[in-house]
Amino acid sequence: MKDLKHLIFFENLLQEANNELVQKAKKDGLRAIGYTCYFMPEVLLDLPGCFSVRLRAPRCTSPDIATYYMSARVCHYARSLMERALEGGFNFLDAQMATETCTATCRFQEHLQQKHLDSVDDMRIIDNDDFFCEFSDVPFKNNEISYEHYATQLRAHVLKPLQEHFGIDISDEAIRRAVEQQNEVSRLINEIGDYRKLENPTITGYEFHVIQLCSLVCPKYLILPYLRETAEEMKTREPDRKKEFRCKVVLAGSENDDPDFTKLVESCGARVVCDRYCYGAVESRQIIELPEGVDPVYAIAKHYLHSSNCPRFMPQDEMRARKKRIAELAGEYHADGVIIASNKFCEYWSYERVIDTVILKRDFGLPVCSIEKEYINTASGQLRTRFQAFVESVEIKKIQEGK
Amino acid sequence: MAKKTFSKILKDFWYGKPHTAEEGGRRLGELHEDKTHLYKHREWRGVPDTMYYFYNIWLYNYIFMVKDIMVMHGPITFAKGLWRYRWIGQTYLPVLHWFDRGLEGMRGEAMKASAWHYRAMVSTTIRQFQHMFAADTRLNGGRQNDLYRHTIAHNETVWGGVFYPWDGEITNVPLEMIPYFVTCHVNSHTVLNYIDAVQSIGLPGDPCPMCQAEAGIFVLDDVPDYAPAVITCNEACDASVSTSTLQDWFFDKPLFSLPMPMLFDDPLVKDYVKREIEELWKFIEQQYGIPFSWEKLTKKLELQNELQRFEWEKWEVDAKTPYYPINGVAQALYRIYQSQYGDWEIWHVTDRKVRKILEKCVSKKIKTFPQTRHRVIAWSCAPLYYSNWCTWAYNCWGLNVVINMDSLMFDMEIRTDSYEHTLEDMAQYHMWAPMRRMAVGGMHHMFELWDYMKRFNCDMVAMYDQLQCKGVQGLHGLFEDEFRKRDIKAFWIPHALPDSRTVSRAEIRRLINDYMSTVMHEEPLDPSLLDFDDSMTW
Amino acid sequence: MNTIFKFIRKLFRIALIANVALFVVFFFDLDGKLLFNVVEPFLKKHYDSMERKDTLKAPYDMDKYPKYDFNS
Repeated sequence: MKDLKHLIFFENLLQEANNELVQKAKKDGLRAIGYTCYFMPEVLLDLPGCFSVRLRAPRCTSPDIATYYMSARVCHYARSLMERALEGGFNFLDAQMATETCTATCRFQEHLQQKHLDSVDDMRIIDNDDFFCEFSDVPFKNNEISYEHYATQLRAHVLKPLQEHFGIDISDEAIRRAVEQQNEVSRLINEIGDYRKLENPTITGYEFHVIQLCSLVCPKYLILPYLRETAEEMKTREPDRKKEFRCKVVLAGSENDDPDFTKLVESCGARVVCDRYCYGAVESRQIIELPEGVDPVYAIAKHYLHSSNCPRFMPQDEMRARKKRIAELAGEYHADGVIIASNKFCEYWSYERVIDTVILKRDFGLPVCSIEKEYINTASGQLRTRFQAFVESVEIKKIQEGK
Repeated sequence: MAKKTFSKILKDFWYGKPHTAEEGGRRLGELHEDKTHLYKHREWRGVPDTMYYFYNIWLYNYIFMVKDIMVMHGPITFAKGLWRYRWIGQTYLPVLHWFDRGLEGMRGEAMKASAWHYRAMVSTTIRQFQHMFAADTRLNGGRQNDLYRHTIAHNETVWGGVFYPWDGEITNVPLEMIPYFVTCHVNSHTVLNYIDAVQSIGLPGDPCPMCQAEAGIFVLDDVPDYAPAVITCNEACDASVSTSTLQDWFFDKPLFSLPMPMLFDDPLVKDYVKREIEELWKFIEQQYGIPFSWEKLTKKLELQNELQRFEWEKWEVDAKTPYYPINGVAQALYRIYQSQYGDWEIWHVTDRKVRKILEKCVSKKIKTFPQTRHRVIAWSCAPLYYSNWCTWAYNCWGLNVVINMDSLMFDMEIRTDSYEHTLEDMAQYHMWAPMRRMAVGGMHHMFELWDYMKRFNCDMVAMYDQLQCKGVQGLHGLFEDEFRKRDIKAFWIPHALPDSRTVSRAEIRRLINDYMSTVMHEEPLDPSLLDFDDSMTW
Repeated sequence: MNTIFKFIRKLFRIALIANVALFVVFFFDLDGKLLFNVVEPFLKKHYDSMERKDTLKAPYDMDKYPKYDFNS
């Protein structure tokens, strides 16, 4: 296929958290607000005057100092973030909007907090006098009480601190504008992503992963023009005459901000057509509806709880629905199988992977490849072998079914 | 010389050998059989204490365990359960050896008071498993009997108090407390089957082994089918949330989740928890058709408050005097069991007995741990398979673990003057559960250690290092930094909670021995306890 | 009277023998040794050889349970 015009530009943006567009936004006087989790609504961090940056630690393979602080038995993602922060890689941040949604990233963010306590020294990891870190409580359920609680938390621990610290406009009108901007990003990402549903997709999983990540780590108002151009470009992009893949897969699982992992999967003969993982578009690029007469913060709270398939949800109906959702995605994207990838030491997905591996195969007839991965995975021969074997088994299944 | 020797022999016979490294001191290590930690013979503690141990602890508990079984659903129920469920047969028969390990070397009032705590835990354990068996459809020809229909199952991290409004009508029995939690202390081998089972279906080995085991008992189909509904809760970690995914699959019952917010310092979360507790109550009413009773709730809460007030009295004595008659392991286990399970008659009976002993010790200024060299606070989550390490540490090195972190949660009374106040306090109480109270909601909770050290006059820290607890591992470096900065004497005890294979008991002892000899430059009180092989012990 | 005394003496003798026997069991940890060397291995063998159902075959009905939301 013809190279996408901005792909190299997008790839370069992903090499550093403080990338070219982030630096430009800072120069424009906007505040950089970091976050790690889907449960921190990025739309509220994109209010006029600030922009959201979903944190990554690209190319961090040996988080040695972070390992001293957090031990080697904690998620590599959280340690990599800590390492990058200790290196000064996040000094551009003006605030970190944190959630206690996963233990490891929570501990990382607690290290960032200026503590003002007698009980433990302030590490002052982010060398920025304006910097603050604020935590919000996120419910484990998707019900009316939870929407109200979550909305209360967002008002108290996201909007109010932004206003008090940086004078950010948190009015309903400002929120609606941020939602509009986010929805435009979502529409463009979905438009680009829908090409993966074609019989012969005109975009690879890797390319889509890069584009989706850029929309998360770059200021929206600056990335939008590139997204618009890419969406336009996609309208006329022709697929390769000979398919370069042997099967299509849904990639599901835990935190995954490494496009080279998707590239690794695709180098083994699979085409990643759907990204149901943290940092994926399935959840983060759903359109946010703001019904008339409904408090926008409440609507946003409801949206983020409603749209998430995080294994953190505990109600029985939601635990069971998650498996069905993956099967539905496989149907929607015409996938032949599912790869469930959990990060080493990610407890949520370790358990979820166990049950998904059995249920998706047994009850939905979907071939499943269940793997554990590191934060950075390019050089993994073991994973390559697993994916190759999986692709072959899916091919054989398709042949046997006469597809 | 002969007169001196004869006089010593008489003295040792009557009082027991002294706790000293000097010639003629007791050598508890020499009583152990190699590998098994069975006793060549039980300790001679002197005539009064040995007779007390024999009659009032060993024989008393055997007789009362039989009595408990007879009274609570009978021996046939027990036999059926024993034959069907590994965790009962493999664990609870050698329960007196659990007493032996926890009370090893103890004398006088400390031995008596600590043993009462053990007795209470045994009785409550029997009550729970007998109830499970009596209600279990598998042991009753597939029938859902009346007991089944009036029992509710729940995660052990759900505080029993939320079921108080149905006291006497619905019995709450935790799913994992007896099949998992208590077994780890009594026989550390049982739980390994469950950990291996859940790993055999694909779970990696790194999640918290407690959560692994809680799922593993279901994988091995070793949970009785004793209730028509289940309540789940998170604990302090991600794995505790995820465990219920597997439990739901295998248990397959109507399930209500009652997760607790982590950020419990935030006053805004209380309203949320209050409403969730009310949702839970509506669920119970819907499932069981029995209405909520405010009178029952307040009555039980007031009884529970009594237990809490006595606990505070105990802490006062513990913190300010050398007359506290409860050893580290009895303090920790009793407190966690009693406060998590909820109010029950046996706790009041026990507290009355212990109060008498406590008052005697204070009024007569009886130094209950006279060889104390260091007052130790144990922080973070303890090794379940070696909860009696503190008994060994006192015997070998004079390290008296006066308080531990888990004892300090649930540190409040619950108001009963109005529905609003009660619900508010219940919400706070439930959020302050074991581990949650310190391990989440901000790292400053974990660093409350310094305040408690001061409060309990401790000069040393035993820092538990649960290798698979992501929350505590995430603070490892900061603790190292703070210990150094504050010049605190602290030693780490690495472990894997219930899994004795990762760090053995011998390894734990070796680490403490190394610390005490190379850093503290001290000599052991009982050199025979320095190095021994208990690799096969319960 | 004699009978009562004889009875009391007999009772005392039985109690004494029982006490001594129990004390021997207690002091030499015979209960622990029996449980460790005989009872537990026997029971473990039984548990290990028990037929257990394959829990991975347990049904997982997606729509079996409703949303328990009493506030909606």
